[in-house]
Amino acid sequence: MNPLIFTTILMTVLLGTMIVMMSSHWLMIWIGFEMNLLAIIPILMKKYNPRTMEASTKYFLTQATASMLLMMAIIINLMHSGQWTITKVFNPTASIIMTSALAMKLGLTPFHFWVPEVTQGISLTSGLILLTWQKLAPMSILYQISPSINLNILLTMAVLSILVGGWGGLNQTQLRKIMAYSSIAHMGWMTAVLVYNPTLTMLNMLIYIMMTLTMFMLFIHSSSTTTLSLSHTWNKTPLITTLILITLLSMGGLPPLSGFMPKWMIIQELTKNSSIILPTLMAIMALLNLYFYMRLTYSTSLTMFPSTNNMKMKWQFETKRITLLPPLIVMSSLLLPLTPMLSILD
Amino acid sequence: MMTYIVFILSVIFVVSFVGFSSKPSPIYGGLVLIVSGGVGCGIIMNFGGSFLGLMVFLIYLGGMLVVFGYTTAMATEQYPEVWVSNTTVMGVFLLGLLMEVMLVLYVLKSEEVGVVFEFSGVGDWAIYDTGDSGVFSEEIMGVAALYSYGAWVVIVTGWSLFVGVLVILEVTRGD
Repeated sequence: MNPLIFTTILMTVLLGTMIVMMSSHWLMIWIGFEMNLLAIIPILMKKYNPRTMEASTKYFLTQATASMLLMMAIIINLMHSGQWTITKVFNPTASIIMTSALAMKLGLTPFHFWVPEVTQGISLTSGLILLTWQKLAPMSILYQISPSINLNILLTMAVLSILVGGWGGLNQTQLRKIMAYSSIAHMGWMTAVLVYNPTLTMLNMLIYIMMTLTMFMLFIHSSSTTTLSLSHTWNKTPLITTLILITLLSMGGLPPLSGFMPKWMIIQELTKNSSIILPTLMAIMALLNLYFYMRLTYSTSLTMFPSTNNMKMKWQFETKRITLLPPLIVMSSLLLPLTPMLSILD
Repeated sequence: MMTYIVFILSVIFVVSFVGFSSKPSPIYGGLVLIVSGGVGCGIIMNFGGSFLGLMVFLIYLGGMLVVFGYTTAMATEQYPEVWVSNTTVMGVFLLGLLMEVMLVLYVLKSEEVGVVFEFSGVGDWAIYDTGDSGVFSEEIMGVAALYSYGAWVVIVTGWSLFVGVLVILEVTRGD
């Protein structure tokens, strides 16, 4: 793609999310979402083959439907409250429709079907932008309307997302699909605590973005999109192999790595609000996630995965220089001792 | 009839939307889009927005839909689908019409409609003269406000349209 056009379109994606996050008028928020959607389509279609075109079309259709639902909720809110400012949405119908629209944008169950298919069809870098940056805008709106969200609907979607994210990822060997199901599960954790303590949603979002960024950078560095291809990194860069182990275990939520911090805080917040069964179920279902992360570490870092002898030397073009990989790895594994600092938030 | 003109125009609006949602060939979709554009213009004008109604005709129908018509004419197929040519299309169209007729009868018969919204019969569509818009027309004031206080909106929408063109060119360029 022409570098000037590519820069313009990438900046427009950033501008769209910024407009969503900083506007106080519902119409501007909707315009921000549409600008974001329009500009990310050519980024998803960077390579012109039928898979990327199909993935971009699927993404466009689902997100456009979600934008339409969002507009309908905005207009119902206007009809009943007479104003356009972002406050909690007082009308229950508008609130339910808006929650469904934002769940479609995030990829929560039962609207999760597009996430694995779209992530699989696009390149690794585009998948990175899709799973991290695109989650910021809907989550910021959910944060702003969180006092008025129907608890039953949101918790149902959250728990089902954790279940689907864990269960659906079990049978996958393609790394992008694994990351997609991981994203669905993490979104479920984030929205489960939204009504109780929205700050923890933002904490979870921050840590999730760091870990997903790290994982994708590690995949891009070793140019691998399947488990088999990833299992050959021991021969090329053994250090990267170790770091894949550490980051994957952090994603699974194991102490003493940073991925444990959001899960711990969320479970603590939920039990403080006298719901015991829910966090127990969520923690148990997170084990499904941990299982397929551990399977990746088993095939990559812990064993020499069986392959034919001529595939043991991993062949690729010159080593990619990945920006900021060491700081990202450090941040996504060693942040747990900083947990007491959370008391400065609110 | 003039009290309920907005209601009648809204019904025609919905029927034309059903007409192109049942997916005949795009050239016939463009045909009902013209009808729905004209009817939409009528709805806006009944609320006092004469300038905006004229904008719909000039820009939407006279600019965008003409370009759409030309591009569809270039990409048309030998036997385009009409509403009666394909059983599926006709079935969907009739289903949409049936649902609209049922909704209209429901609104006309009952005092209050409480499906998703609450309407008080047909009364909500009648135009009242609220008396507030005395000397100035609200709608022209709104357009003036868009270009003065609402400069940010103009910038954002202008940029969105520009990026829209860039995106379309980039997507259709291919390799």
